[in-house]
Amino acid sequence: MASTDKTMAVPETPAELERIPLVSNQRSIGWISDQVCAIMEGKLPMWWWAAFIPSLMLLCLLGTMLVYQVTTGVGVWGNRHPVMWGWDIINFVWWIGIGHAGTLISAILFLLRQKWRTAVNRASEAMTIFAVMCAGIYPALHVGRVWYDWWLFPIPNSNGIWPQFRSPLMWDVFAVSTYFTVSVLFWYMGLIPDLAVMRDRCTTKVRQFFYGLFSLGWTGSNRHWRNYEKAYLILAGVSTPLVLSVHSIVSLDFAVSQLPGWHTTIFPPYFVAGAVFSGFGMVLTLLVPLRSMFKLEDVITMRHIDIMCKVTLATGSIVGYAYGMEFFIAWYSGNPSEQFHFLNRAFGPYQWGWIMMMSCNTLVPQLFWFKKFRQNLKYVFIISILVNIGMWFERFVIIVIGLHRDFLPSNWAYFKPTWVDICTFLGTFGLFFTLFLLFLRFLPMIAISEVKGVTPQADPHHPLGGAKPKHNGH
Amino acid sequence: MKTIPPACPEPEFGRKYWRGLDQLAETPEFRHWLEREFPQGAGEFTDPVSRRNFVQIMSASFLLAGVGLGATGCRRPVEKLEPFGKQPDDYVYGTSRYYATSMPTRGGAVPLVARSYDGRPVKLEGNPHHPDSNGGTDRWAQAAILNLYDPDRSRHFYSGGTTTSIESAIDFLSGFSKKAQANGGEGLAFLIESNNSPSRSRLQQLISSRLPKARWFLHEAIDTDIHRRAASQAFGESVQPRFKFEAAKVIVSLDCDFIGSEEESHNHIRRFTQGRKMEKAGDSMSRLYIVEALMSLTGVNADHRLRLPASAVGQIASALMAEVTGSVNAVGLPSGVKPAWVAECAKDLLANKGASLVVAGHRQPLEVHLLAHALNAALGNLGKTIEFIPAPDFREAGIVELAAALNAGQVNTLVILGANPGYTAPVDLDWSKTQRKAKTVIRLGYYEDETFADCDWHIPLAHFLESWGDVRTSDGTLVPVQPLIAPLFSGWTELDLLARIAGETVTSPYEIVRATFGKLVSGDVELAWRKFLYSGYLENSAAQPVEVRLDRSQVDKALSGVAVVAVGKEKLEVVFHRDHSVDDGRYGNNGWLHELPDPVTKLVWDNAVLVSRKTAVELGVKNNDIVKIELGGRSVHGPVFIQPGMADFTLGLALGYGREKSGRVGKGIGFNTYALRTAAAQNITVGAGVAKTGGVFELVSTQTHWSMEGRPIIREANLEQFEAHPDFAKSMNAEMPPASGPFYPSPFDDLKKTGHHQWGMSIDLNSCVGCSACMVACQSENNVPIVGKDQVNRGRDMHWIRIDRYYSGDPSKEKFLDTFKVDEKQQFEEWIDDVQVVTQPMLCQHCESAPCENVCPVNATVHDQEGLNLMVYNRCVGTRYCSNNCPYKVRRYNYLDYNKRPLQELKGPFYNNALTHKTDGEWDLLRWWRDPNSGMRTSDEWDLIKMLKNPDVTVRMRGVMEKCTFCVQRIQQAEIAQKVKARDTGDILVPDGAASKEPAALKTACQQACPAGAIVFGNIADPESRVSKLKAQQRDYSVLDFLLTKPRTTYLAKVRNPNPKMPDYTESPLSLEEYTKKMGSPFEPHGEAEGAAHAAEKGKL
Repeated sequence: MASTDKTMAVPETPAELERIPLVSNQRSIGWISDQVCAIMEGKLPMWWWAAFIPSLMLLCLLGTMLVYQVTTGVGVWGNRHPVMWGWDIINFVWWIGIGHAGTLISAILFLLRQKWRTAVNRASEAMTIFAVMCAGIYPALHVGRVWYDWWLFPIPNSNGIWPQFRSPLMWDVFAVSTYFTVSVLFWYMGLIPDLAVMRDRCTTKVRQFFYGLFSLGWTGSNRHWRNYEKAYLILAGVSTPLVLSVHSIVSLDFAVSQLPGWHTTIFPPYFVAGAVFSGFGMVLTLLVPLRSMFKLEDVITMRHIDIMCKVTLATGSIVGYAYGMEFFIAWYSGNPSEQFHFLNRAFGPYQWGWIMMMSCNTLVPQLFWFKKFRQNLKYVFIISILVNIGMWFERFVIIVIGLHRDFLPSNWAYFKPTWVDICTFLGTFGLFFTLFLLFLRFLPMIAISEVKGVTPQADPHHPLGGAKPKHNGH
Repeated sequence: MKTIPPACPEPEFGRKYWRGLDQLAETPEFRHWLEREFPQGAGEFTDPVSRRNFVQIMSASFLLAGVGLGATGCRRPVEKLEPFGKQPDDYVYGTSRYYATSMPTRGGAVPLVARSYDGRPVKLEGNPHHPDSNGGTDRWAQAAILNLYDPDRSRHFYSGGTTTSIESAIDFLSGFSKKAQANGGEGLAFLIESNNSPSRSRLQQLISSRLPKARWFLHEAIDTDIHRRAASQAFGESVQPRFKFEAAKVIVSLDCDFIGSEEESHNHIRRFTQGRKMEKAGDSMSRLYIVEALMSLTGVNADHRLRLPASAVGQIASALMAEVTGSVNAVGLPSGVKPAWVAECAKDLLANKGASLVVAGHRQPLEVHLLAHALNAALGNLGKTIEFIPAPDFREAGIVELAAALNAGQVNTLVILGANPGYTAPVDLDWSKTQRKAKTVIRLGYYEDETFADCDWHIPLAHFLESWGDVRTSDGTLVPVQPLIAPLFSGWTELDLLARIAGETVTSPYEIVRATFGKLVSGDVELAWRKFLYSGYLENSAAQPVEVRLDRSQVDKALSGVAVVAVGKEKLEVVFHRDHSVDDGRYGNNGWLHELPDPVTKLVWDNAVLVSRKTAVELGVKNNDIVKIELGGRSVHGPVFIQPGMADFTLGLALGYGREKSGRVGKGIGFNTYALRTAAAQNITVGAGVAKTGGVFELVSTQTHWSMEGRPIIREANLEQFEAHPDFAKSMNAEMPPASGPFYPSPFDDLKKTGHHQWGMSIDLNSCVGCSACMVACQSENNVPIVGKDQVNRGRDMHWIRIDRYYSGDPSKEKFLDTFKVDEKQQFEEWIDDVQVVTQPMLCQHCESAPCENVCPVNATVHDQEGLNLMVYNRCVGTRYCSNNCPYKVRRYNYLDYNKRPLQELKGPFYNNALTHKTDGEWDLLRWWRDPNSGMRTSDEWDLIKMLKNPDVTVRMRGVMEKCTFCVQRIQQAEIAQKVKARDTGDILVPDGAASKEPAALKTACQQACPAGAIVFGNIADPESRVSKLKAQQRDYSVLDFLLTKPRTTYLAKVRNPNPKMPDYTESPLSLEEYTKKMGSPFEPHGEAEGAAHAAEKGKL
């Protein structure tokens, strides 16, 4: 900077303070369309098949296990007296937790004008929907008489029977089904412009028909965009409280009871934080490999990874704080049952579960304080998986340790899962990955139009951007 | 489907009708024609209980039932197989009827009232009118009804290993009888079991007079006749001792498990607890000392317990004798026993002369019994706390003599009545081979069991609910055995068989019993007979106690007979004991009893090698390790279970397991300890060696955690503490949260207490001895299924009422982190060596603010106006949330279709389902399609098992939660009955069942069965009801009070009565010491008072 040149009031930004663009390498808008659409239009890579076939097999396993369970009874699982909820509810809460990141990214970050969300929101929302589907299997099928599940819905009927609205399980039914419905609507809403892109590009009649059908006659007119943006904003507003409510209500399944370790007012915020934590963990697990497999490093940049690592660190720390606070309150309350429960977590027969939870959820994410770990994709990938393992164990700790030793020592027992528990859980991965791989193949995994909107070139003042036909090939 | 012809059993008496002359002739042509014409029905023709003719049996039993109370007495009206075309007089559809009968036992009988529904007995209860009964029973009487409907019981007559008809058996016997009469019964031997039946002994005498050369032998695997033998020897005349525990202030038990494994335990429990019950502080209670090797139920309830090898008990007896009489103890004390223990115990006995009682257990040798009698005589107890009634002097020899006779070729024909010597005979008799030495073996047996294969003739034995009989209870009162149903498989009673062998023309047991009765009463026999059948006992027929005088010479002989036997690691002591569930093996096919946890070990579906912790350490074994026990050149393999409180270097081996030929339920359960038991050493023997095999066998227990962890769940104090602090139980209540209304008051809360009755229950922990009769009673009343060992292991046992059993040891031995250890590690803890044990029945507490109710999403569990927490099975979808939120964890979930699955289909890890299973050769899915209620049980099993069900209680399907209902069906019946009775008087309040002796009076099944009277149920809205009075007592408390669930079931705290001068005295019971260590003493002011003290202290500063 020349010191004499005082008229130049605006100093040039130093390089280290330069905002890293959301799409790097000055990729053009056309490149984005081509790159994203190629996933659906090009030849299927071998790895896709290598992932899809085992997933499909696991899905079949899931079906077999569920048929077996429904025809035989809940007894095929390891659930027992007094641990009446076992892997069924653990996995339900775990999958529901994973299903938190998508809507958080798409709704809350949208309202907060976090433009980086555009690169990851589509895949996260898909992840959310599939995770909620996996989760929904459990409450629907863990009951003893599956064929009467409809009694949980307030359906007027000739039996004169009505649900009991004081039960948190009842609230669950509403919370989860609302969340699922709104998430699907929101996701589909965002898909419409991209489906139109696909429609316009596709070469086969079948694809043309279906993309045409689902793009609802989108032409990209100004009027369409105007309505679209408004609807998107409204849906984002509707979704935002749901993100917070679902896991709060799931946490009430526990908090409303009087069991030591369950009966805690800290549960709703702590469950939401944990859900976001595990959701981001899963997003990272999925996107870290996908960005390189689909050569999308310029769209899902290291900056995206970095931000998501930071969110993981923040929510992981909240969860860690909650764990500590639970111990403190147990001591501070002077309640012997609470005190026993928390000591039993740490020193009891399931100590290994507690150690897994504590190390994976509170210690491991602390590595994200260091840029070195946030920028190393291998570490990010491993840590994201550990986060998901840790969060599974968190639910295990709450449910199994909470139940296995409660008030009367004569009831104390040790819970073990059966092969059916394990196979059913593996089967839900089959469902999840089958749906996710199909999503990758048939729907744009990046929100094409939204990413275009946040490229540097989309800014009219950008040297390469704006409505300058000479720079814009399309 | 072809029509199966109705089977046509031949009536025994009266007119006979034939379908044709061919049938009359029973020619081969007719049979051939029958089989060709009705191939499906041909088998049924010989199978007397196919589904079709079952209806006929049923209708017959209606008539039978109809006359049970009636004018003519109850004949066996086989001839009245008529369809139920006309409703019998006095019969109302859907109501149950009650008949007095009784269950014969070894030394007497349990007087019963059987509940019959539509002609089938469904529930047995004690007869409260009987002069020596309060209506309580033992677990075996409660479970006996399951044996009646046991699909595996013997259904056919066999000759030479193939089925034959009843007629050929009759023909054979009449021929045999004639031959025997001709030669005076030469070469004829009978093997019988203990039985107190006057008719049987009349027939025995008859046979003895007609066949003077016939010989009688008696075999009982568990020999409780030693009480009579010892008393007869001590007093020089044949007498049976009767212990009056209620009159004793100090009781010393010498290895006598009178609460558990002795005969007549339910009567002992009633008498013992009568002396332990307290209304208020200041009441007195008896004190119980016990010296024993195993941890028995009596040891559980003792105030002072000395654990010693069973073979050292004689030394204690002789030491007591020396202390009491002031003589010199020649044999000395066993090592490790503090002299003060015996001295102080003796002082206590002496201080209570005439109000003390020394009893010796049936496993102990004669010397110990004689010493016990001598002690009682020296203490002036004879006639006061112990009575003697004349007992017939059995002249029968035992099975050893029979074996000798067989080996000497003296027995041509052996008649076995009921017993199963093939399984229970001493192993050194090599019974199977020995029995074969008789040319003909005729056997009357309930099962086709181990003895069956070595018999030429097998006759199915009738269940006592199918039989006419008579028997004397232990006090000598004559009680009838009345049939409730015609024999399902045309079984015979002992009387049938004996009458035929005797060559009697009248072989109907009814006539025999009636004739015996006629000789026992004077005056109007018919009236007396009717009254006898109606009330279930013959008034004033009890035996009168006799005065006895001790024969000193016998005592001196006994004293010299006491030997000092050393036991150790290389020379282990073996105690063969009667099993709490299967007895000597006779209940080996009874699933209720197999699933009834042993009250002390809590093991189900198995026996084990019970050892102490120290023994296990010395032998290098732990729970579930399979060991080889060697004794006298024989060996068996069994799994180890470390039992707290066991004597060191003693092995406890329960008899009755390891059956090779039992039914579907009992086969292959446990290991056979008879294989070690010789004629010379039937009970206690020293010299066994144990070797670890390296194998592991999983034992299953219903309670894995042993300690109460200092929680005030069972509250107890010593007598002095109770006197000083009568409200100690309440001061153990936790600090209550500040009183505030609920956040969201339920609109139904106001309705909760509007009923006329408010049901509640009070359980006296001072009376409850843990015998578990209530568990079986509940199972029988409420159609609670059994789930099998594998399911129990997976925590799916279904008992609505369970007995929690906790051990407490010296709290100073426990370290802080011990609580958090895995349950399996308890077996290695030192504190389990000397433990105090407490038991507590735990069932649905019917909380007024029930935590289960508000979490059910479908309103399946709700409260009614009378304070019952109801479970609506139809509404339940099975989320199991209610159980998670139940702090008592008393809810039970049908994880699988337990009622419709046979036991072999209840074993994981793979369970069959309708897609993978065939039943009766047909794919289950097809069966299900035709009938969604069809299950996996084969029809022969299903037809019988479903008859067992109480029709007033829903049989729950899978996926449904269930729990104690306070026997809501009984409540409803009582309320309806009262409303009918009240008519327009408005007096609709049900009278207090606890105070009533009527069989139909409102009592829950557990309350009815409880011999201790520990469970009292009733209307707490009525301040005069027994339950209200109990709840008003000082000891009343509720479990987990601090959760504010406000349970309707409350407990009366336990009071122990230890002797402060004893060396093992502790100021508080150990469980209270544990509590004090964690929570502070309940006898010191705490809570507000403590806060005030703190404030005062602060003020000073």
